[in-house]
Amino acid sequence: MLNPDFVARCKQHRVILAVAFLLIFPLLMPFKAIAVNILIYGLYALGFNMLFGTLGLLSFGHAALFGGGAYACGLAMIRLGLPWWMGIVCAVVIGMALAAIIGAFAIRTRGIYFAMVTMALAQCVYFISDQWVSLTGGENGLRDVTLTKIDLGITTLNFVDPLTRYYVVAFFVAIALFVLSRILASPFGAAMEAVRENEARARACGYDVRATRYLAFILSGGFCGLAGALQALHLSIVPLETLAIANSGLVVMMSLLGGMGTFFGPFVGAGVFLLLENLVSLWTVHWQIFVGAAFVACVLFFPRGIWGTILLGRGR
Amino acid sequence: METSKKAAVTRRTLLAASSLLAMPSIVRAQSADTIKIGFPVPLTGPYGTEAKDQVACAQIAIAEFNEAGGLNGRKAELLVRDDKLDPGEAATRTIELIEKDGANFICGSLSAAVQLAVNNVAKQRGVIYNSISQSDQIAALPDWSKTTFHEGMTPHLTAGAVGRYAFSKYGKKVVFLQADYAYGHEMVAGFKAVGEKMGIEVLADLRHPLGATDFSTLLPRIQSLKPDILVLVNFGRDQQISLKQATDFGLKKTTKIVAPVLLYTARQAAGEKAFEGVVGGTSYYWGIESTVPTAKAFNDRYRKANEGRVPSDYGALGYAGVRALLEGARRAGGTDTAKVIAALEGLKYDFYKGAQEIRACDHQAVQPVFIIESKAAGANPNDVFNVISTDAANADNLVSCKDEGHV
Repeated sequence: MLNPDFVARCKQHRVILAVAFLLIFPLLMPFKAIAVNILIYGLYALGFNMLFGTLGLLSFGHAALFGGGAYACGLAMIRLGLPWWMGIVCAVVIGMALAAIIGAFAIRTRGIYFAMVTMALAQCVYFISDQWVSLTGGENGLRDVTLTKIDLGITTLNFVDPLTRYYVVAFFVAIALFVLSRILASPFGAAMEAVRENEARARACGYDVRATRYLAFILSGGFCGLAGALQALHLSIVPLETLAIANSGLVVMMSLLGGMGTFFGPFVGAGVFLLLENLVSLWTVHWQIFVGAAFVACVLFFPRGIWGTILLGRGR
Repeated sequence: METSKKAAVTRRTLLAASSLLAMPSIVRAQSADTIKIGFPVPLTGPYGTEAKDQVACAQIAIAEFNEAGGLNGRKAELLVRDDKLDPGEAATRTIELIEKDGANFICGSLSAAVQLAVNNVAKQRGVIYNSISQSDQIAALPDWSKTTFHEGMTPHLTAGAVGRYAFSKYGKKVVFLQADYAYGHEMVAGFKAVGEKMGIEVLADLRHPLGATDFSTLLPRIQSLKPDILVLVNFGRDQQISLKQATDFGLKKTTKIVAPVLLYTARQAAGEKAFEGVVGGTSYYWGIESTVPTAKAFNDRYRKANEGRVPSDYGALGYAGVRALLEGARRAGGTDTAKVIAALEGLKYDFYKGAQEIRACDHQAVQPVFIIESKAAGANPNDVFNVISTDAANADNLVSCKDEGHV
């Protein structure tokens, strides 16, 4: 269908293409808030996919990293009175720190045990946040994460304006895309794929398998933490549900839907899922049937996910 | 060379095609003259039944307003969204309602966390929000803002009314059994606040995890304490299961069971046996129509629209919440936020359950609370409660504005 040369070139310039797409994306969406949500969940899924798709580790506790980042950003702004950009820095740091703690236990295991350990530790984070009411607001969540004006020196941005809010979030997502693309293209990225494909052989070649996994987990935490911070700023609240187990499952579903192991797949998955949910629930309360059916159809007919199937068709 | 040229064309075509796709959303103009009320409620999830009834009742308020000619010809419209009982989803939906649909007001929600999320989003954008669910925090600082209104009851008010009635009538020796989460804690705090003044003796304060299915370890313990009253603070399925097991244990023979809130919908779902003789509070019960004329009018209207059924408690709050906003718009002569707030502050009204007032300092609806007792099976399947006492609207029963942090 398409010239292989063109496909190769697109792959080379995937970040530029992605940024160009981000620029026009809000115009394609029914409303801006969902475009922002797709960006945030897309980034969250991207961070998750780094572990799942690239390294082959299925984590069931990524909500702790996403929610941890969201709470870190919110708490830094509310309790410490830090500016919003410091909130984002805190979120990335806390996301990585939580990943370092959870990862220290989890990377010793593999397969289903890895999923179980990450899930159990993520539940610990959930319940700490639920019980520590004076700090986190408990079940009512954290409120008043208010960001209305962004002072850039030369000009002031109105963060409440939908399109401005979108582009501010898109700016951070673009940076994350660039960093992630560099990581995947680096020797470390190749090492991750080697570990996924054949662990014994990777070890025989001299790669430190455990260190590769641990570092990947921590980096993944940074991306998820950033996504969480952006959500806190976007919604101006941090619901306790961001830490809930359903949020861990959601990101698995998005990655599978879009195509695990592909660069854009998680974004496509997040977009398709959120759009389906949003549009179908406007005309029926039984929206879950349709989203579920779409998911089952995807797993049955497109095991590579939506984006993975498109790539396959083009690469042929 | 050839290939790159081809590629460039493809990319451009793609861009052009995508901008064409975007056109409808730009062209689609909003008709400025309808009054739009955004209504996020949990249509899916455990409170789906209650949420659907909230919508049915809110539609009545809209229909009445439009039949009366609207606001100088401006008609009202209800924009219903499913918040899925999730604060994040509710926040997104509220942003959508305000930014895309141009909602003039927001009303709705059915959980403490969700209403605080909706309130936060609405106040950041300066849009009036009238909440119709239970919460103490929403009327207090720092959550409250000028645009925050609360038509729903507060745990303090509900527990206070039920406590005052039960502790004076059934005895002073009390055991609490609460679901271990915010709802339970807030309600029990409300009961203890009123109980202290009346000199109750708390024999035990027991907690069970949310979603418990087996109460057989707790019930003998409660029985051996021989309390006059068991205050059962849980909700939904937890309430049904614990009541059923308490009935089977024979606890009702020695102890009066009291719940802060008895839901019409829950009683209908669980049947009369488990609930029989249980005393609790409610914001509304259709049976008050024999003494309250506005309730009669509202019930009749609901029956006509819904095949003879009667409105539920939480449903009726949907009616009152939407109607209060429309009344505010009517008095203000438009939808200007500041004018509507001014019109609503201190507003005295009787929409469906007797005299009410919006307290000016915190925008909390000062309202009657009804104490009801669940009946044995009768001829009319809708007739499930007896109203045994009515606490008329009285601001002294609410947390004072000073204690809420208002100046």
